[in-house]
Amino acid sequence: MNRAVSVARMQLINKWTFLGIPALIIAASFALTYAIWLMVPNNVETRYSGASQAVVWYFLALGIQSLTYTFPFSQAMSVSRRTFYIGTTGLFAVVALAVSLLYFVLGRIEVATNGWGLNGQLYFLGWAADSPAAVQIMFNFLVMLALYMTGFWFATVYKRWRATGMLVVWILIAVALVGLMALAGWQGWWPQIGAWFAAQTPLSVSGWTALFCAVLGVGSYLTLRRATP
Amino acid sequence: MNTPTQPPVIELNNVTKRYKDTKAVDGVTLRIDGGRIYGLLGRNGAGKTTLMSILTAQDPETSGDVKVFGQHPYENDAVLSRMCFIRESQKYPEDFSPAQAFKSAALFFRNWDQDFADRLAEEFALPLKRRIKKLSRGQLSAVGVIIGLAARAELTFFDEPYLGLDAVARQIFYDRLVEDYSLHPRTIILSSHLIDEVANLLEHVLLIDNGRIILDDDAENIRGSAATVTGEDSKVTDFTAGLPILHRERLGSLTSVTIEARLGTADRARAAELGLEIAPVSLQQLVVRKTMAAPAGGAGVDPRTATDPSELEVAP
Amino acid sequence: MLDDSRPIFLQIAELIEGDIVAGALAEEAQAPSTNEFAAFYRINPATAAKGINKLVDEGILYKKRGIGMFVATGARTRLLERRREEFFHDFVQPLTREARRLGISVDALTDMINRSNSDPVLTERSAGR
Repeated sequence: MNRAVSVARMQLINKWTFLGIPALIIAASFALTYAIWLMVPNNVETRYSGASQAVVWYFLALGIQSLTYTFPFSQAMSVSRRTFYIGTTGLFAVVALAVSLLYFVLGRIEVATNGWGLNGQLYFLGWAADSPAAVQIMFNFLVMLALYMTGFWFATVYKRWRATGMLVVWILIAVALVGLMALAGWQGWWPQIGAWFAAQTPLSVSGWTALFCAVLGVGSYLTLRRATP
Repeated sequence: MNTPTQPPVIELNNVTKRYKDTKAVDGVTLRIDGGRIYGLLGRNGAGKTTLMSILTAQDPETSGDVKVFGQHPYENDAVLSRMCFIRESQKYPEDFSPAQAFKSAALFFRNWDQDFADRLAEEFALPLKRRIKKLSRGQLSAVGVIIGLAARAELTFFDEPYLGLDAVARQIFYDRLVEDYSLHPRTIILSSHLIDEVANLLEHVLLIDNGRIILDDDAENIRGSAATVTGEDSKVTDFTAGLPILHRERLGSLTSVTIEARLGTADRARAAELGLEIAPVSLQQLVVRKTMAAPAGGAGVDPRTATDPSELEVAP
Repeated sequence: MLDDSRPIFLQIAELIEGDIVAGALAEEAQAPSTNEFAAFYRINPATAAKGINKLVDEGILYKKRGIGMFVATGARTRLLERRREEFFHDFVQPLTREARRLGISVDALTDMINRSNSDPVLTERSAGR
């Protein structure tokens, strides 16, 4: 366990990767959005912005990067794959939780200040407003984790099976998606599917995302166990 | 040094590593007691790096029994934390500087000596703040050498650590290795093909060829275990009759034969009487002679054709 | 300085013996440590230790606990005696053998030895060794 903490500290030796860049993206996305709102004349309607997602997409890249850059090095540092995995994903979980809490707080401020005084909506999750605070925070957290794990898993697949593995994975995903869509169309399931999506609650979406994260997490670990530096 | 109650540092039993249809390591059985500087010698592609990757669980074996410090090293932090293996083409986080790589090593190697690392960095004139991806090949090698030395791991591997290092820098490495090893005895496995340079540093030699260990002996036993006899053809043939021959060369009526045999005072006197010259065979020459009969390149070669030492007489 | 014909530890022992015979290492003087030998000749410390231990076993060097290795009293005389015995078979035999091969008679050889002995440069150099 001690060594897993050391892995996390190793990931933090360069402060930018896990802390600096996310902070910069969060600050810049807010500043830019705010500037745009100031410049564009106000109308009465609420103005939505997706800029808060920017950092979430960075986490996809971070997932790729934290594996590709540091896994071979961690092997030279005599760290087991398991310890590397625990230390790295554990560190990310802490970062993601912090950002989720921050977003929740910012969402509350946003509501209290009437959309930063400009009737904007950047952090507040309108569709989940009725859910308890914990669910709102968890939802953000799980989405970030899902993107990170996606990046991490793809990087692991690449590390283990190189370009061939990547190609096979993309083909499988494409075949599965097309196959399911064809099946749904052929069986006339679309209305039911639409109804199913409409019936989802913030909690159930969180649950599905958690399941997705768990599958990717286990998949990444199993793939990493046999990866070579 | 180990007391008899401790397990040997390394114990391999019939270990094989297969890549598709090639055996990079082929049924190696080996025991390393430790507390010495070992030389892991062999041609490129002979299986040196693969063997070290197996021992450090960076690339585990296909079959066989591997024990390091009495346990299997794979996913075993207790065992791994006692070793250090910096690869010849070691990758570092792209945005790291050497100083950051050392800071990281300090987190994982409990015997890490930062002062020693700093002194070495100064001797190698390594720019500590420059990004690793901007370093020259030699400077990159220096980073690996410094981590390997300053980590003072109980079991340290150096895999061709000198790529891009000039003669002066290599000498610094050898000097510091001997010096630090004297003060902090441990098990060091040095893989190299600059054999002449490292020969005197080694206490024990492991020669690997086509994935098999073909020589496993103390360096001092090997010294003088072969000799080259030069002189008149018939007299050389007469003198070397019945001795294992590693190599034969002819120049006019002059023949030069390398034999794998220890020559005593009596043999030398007899050779002198016959007017034959006896020259020592260096470790490097011996390795060349012993591995030359094998087809070039190691990898991609059917290991079943790997040569038994006794078949080496038919050298090209 | 070191060659590949024989184990290095023997060569190290001989180098120390040479220093004692030449007087560079006086009796009761401290000999360099194993690590100093290893660093100087760039050899494995265990090998250097083996060479030194050989001389300890022969009573040429002795160990002072916690201080180091010292040259034994009488070591030089004993080494000289041994070297003189070896001289015949290490130097005289090859000399006469080569002389025979080159057709140099015993008289001519004696003459050469006398000449070599009276050459001031050579005499001095050999005395200085």
